[in-house]
Amino acid sequence: MAAADGEPQAATKEAEKPKIEPLRLPTPEEIRGQDIWNNCAVRSVVSGIMGGGLGLAMGLFLGALDNPLMQEEMSTKQKVIYTAKDMGRRSLRSAKTFAVMGLIFSAAECVVEKARAKHDTTNTVVAGCVTGGAISAKGGPKAACAGCAGFAAFSVLIEKLFDRHD
Amino acid sequence: MAATNAPTNIEKEQIFGMAEKEMEYRVDLFNRLTATCFDKCIEKRYKESELNMGENSCIDRCVSKYWQVTNLIGQLLGSNRPPV
Repeated sequence: MAAADGEPQAATKEAEKPKIEPLRLPTPEEIRGQDIWNNCAVRSVVSGIMGGGLGLAMGLFLGALDNPLMQEEMSTKQKVIYTAKDMGRRSLRSAKTFAVMGLIFSAAECVVEKARAKHDTTNTVVAGCVTGGAISAKGGPKAACAGCAGFAAFSVLIEKLFDRHD
Repeated sequence: MAATNAPTNIEKEQIFGMAEKEMEYRVDLFNRLTATCFDKCIEKRYKESELNMGENSCIDRCVSKYWQVTNLIGQLLGSNRPPV
């Protein structure tokens, strides 16, 4: 009788209490898989590739809108080929610029964040300044300062946009 | 002769008690370490569930320092028995 009373009680108690799973620490493979994204080199290369893709698309799009200078003697087919070549050249140039920008920005942000051990907008500002300064360094120190400030402001704006979106 | 060949019951109980205490100590160390580094490194308000790189490196440094402090204090406590 005591056993018959005890059994349905124990069954309902187990059905009520959810099963507590034991603590599952990540395996070394999982840690290594997550650590790949923490590596600065990998991150900056991937960012560079993505920047290149973006530059390619933008260059193609903007190049399609522009009309290149053409001579009137060319036939229609030659005009099409010439336009396509011009679009390709423009988009390649744009892709290279954007890829370099993405690479430098991502590398700078990664290094700064790792050194500070904090996730802040200061990382974005410093990385934007470095990128802007590096891109417009050819124009002299004044141009570098202007590029630094401009790109830093732009990257902070983009970051705030993405944060709000998420 | 039987006492020198096999551990007696009292010795077995002692060894088991020490292992249990050691296990409790380790679990307590893990819990404190996790709580301390979580409080130190991760902000109160966050917008995503993944650890970002800053928090990751902060946790690495926190665990390393905690471990060094534990070892150092253990050595200081273990070397000279009478307290300074």
